[in-house]
Amino acid sequence: MKMGRKWSDRLQFGIFTLPVLICIAVAFYIPFVMTVRYSLTKWNGIAKHPKFVGLDNFHQIFTGDANFSSAAWFTIKYMVLYIVLVNVLAIVLALILDMKLRSTTWLRAAFFVPYILSLVIVGFIWKFIFMQGFESLGATTGWGIFAMSWLGEPGLAFISILGVSIWQSVGFYMVIYIAGLQAVPEDLKEAATVDGAGAFRKFFSITLPLLAPSITISVFMALTNSIKVFDVILSLTGGGPGGTTYSVAYDIYRDTFQNNLYGYGTAKALVLFIAVLVITFIQLGIFKRREVEA
Amino acid sequence: MTSAKTGRLILEIVMIILSLLFLYPLILAIINSFKSFSEVMSDVIAMPQQFNFDNYAYVWKYINYPRLFINNTIITLIGLIGIILFSSVAAYKLSRTQSKWSNMIYLLCIIPMLIPFQSIMLTVLQLAKNLHLSDSTWGLGILYWGFGAPLAVFIYHGFVKGIPREIDESATIDGASGFKLFFLVIFPLLQSVTTTIIIIDVMWIWNDFLLPLLMVNGSPATKTLTLAAYTFVGQYTSDWQYAMTAMVMAVMPSIIVFVLLQKYIVRGVVAGAVKG
Repeated sequence: MKMGRKWSDRLQFGIFTLPVLICIAVAFYIPFVMTVRYSLTKWNGIAKHPKFVGLDNFHQIFTGDANFSSAAWFTIKYMVLYIVLVNVLAIVLALILDMKLRSTTWLRAAFFVPYILSLVIVGFIWKFIFMQGFESLGATTGWGIFAMSWLGEPGLAFISILGVSIWQSVGFYMVIYIAGLQAVPEDLKEAATVDGAGAFRKFFSITLPLLAPSITISVFMALTNSIKVFDVILSLTGGGPGGTTYSVAYDIYRDTFQNNLYGYGTAKALVLFIAVLVITFIQLGIFKRREVEA
Repeated sequence: MTSAKTGRLILEIVMIILSLLFLYPLILAIINSFKSFSEVMSDVIAMPQQFNFDNYAYVWKYINYPRLFINNTIITLIGLIGIILFSSVAAYKLSRTQSKWSNMIYLLCIIPMLIPFQSIMLTVLQLAKNLHLSDSTWGLGILYWGFGAPLAVFIYHGFVKGIPREIDESATIDGASGFKLFFLVIFPLLQSVTTTIIIIDVMWIWNDFLLPLLMVNGSPATKTLTLAAYTFVGQYTSDWQYAMTAMVMAVMPSIIVFVLLQKYIVRGVVAGAVKG
């Protein structure tokens, strides 16, 4: 009897968990194992059998691939600036929209709207603005800022990509921070006011430390999203001008699907995976520790 | 007191102006979708001479909008149903069972959250071909099960802990066990998490680009809205009036849904983000 019960429990456990395991295996684990295998080969996708080359691909990635190193540099710059700017702006917005203004509901919705749009389409809309809209705006206002070549010059194209990504997603981070601010107890702030703390003092000594969990989450999300930046570049600059705005994700996409370097592309993909893993663990480690102190 | 009030009013006005500036790119896109080619070229910021729907009629027919809309709906629905069904039962069982196995399986379920899609995109594509899932809306929907499951399992798992075990026990005594217990007793209690997961996953699947590009780009009959807008703009890069119309038509469903369900969407995103 007891034995029978145990087996039926086990059977039930299997029936409940197996479907999801199969789905995840199909979506992640099997492809991942295949990726590891392909990364050790040279293959154009047409030849019947991939040719085993050992670690040659990795050797080439780190020693003789100018595309990869410039894409990596682009991604790092983008990642750092994106994380800092989007979080600072989101905190500022959240602080203002946490005050009880009459138009708060409208304002929160307005800043959130771009986040519900697909990044590819956001990229195209902005391409239109940069290429056509800025011309009209420049003619009307006479401001030189609209006459600049925002997609045609490497430095400016970088800023455009960064700006458009921030525009699209700042509302999402703002919402997380508003939720965090609402968890900050009112009486703490009031007590500080009674003690004579000014607005800045209150912000840095009370609000910011108590926002630490929200900051950990937001930075984590900004990190994982920015390290994979792809869609917005594809539609906004297509990697140009002169290949200066390729990100690592885009570089992998290009090698794999446009240059048909299946083996080499997957090796790069594996390098990206390890980078994501290491950076995520470091970030979570640092921020979690700070949270405990706060 | 009055100076604080005026300060607040000024801040309010500044914020409203800022928010309108913030939305201005979208407003410009909508304005230009009503213009003719020569109007777009002569002045982007001017209002159209008349609001006619010629561009919309053209794009609607050219990209076969109803077909795309149905495709998006099929993919999103299939994806959602599978993610919710499989993830909720698994997360429930894993959360209720205390053993080495259940801990290990739980970890296996959530680790993929760290794997960037670009790291596996080529091999996913090949595997999908072998499983006859590529070039079909159904197949794409099914693939989303695995991609959506890790986050869903994670969120459900955390939530089930808050449901007292006594509920399971009393239901078992009343004669319900297994699937009956889960679907009649537990699943209704998970409603708020389920809403959160629906919101996060609908926004993601509906707008996703790279996976559809790799999976269903082969034929016009299987394309998604974003994909069609992308290829359409590729062909019409100089005809901005059509391009903008296609963009507006692609984003309209999201905007309408957002306006209608704003409160739930924001709440759902917060819940998901904070758990995640």
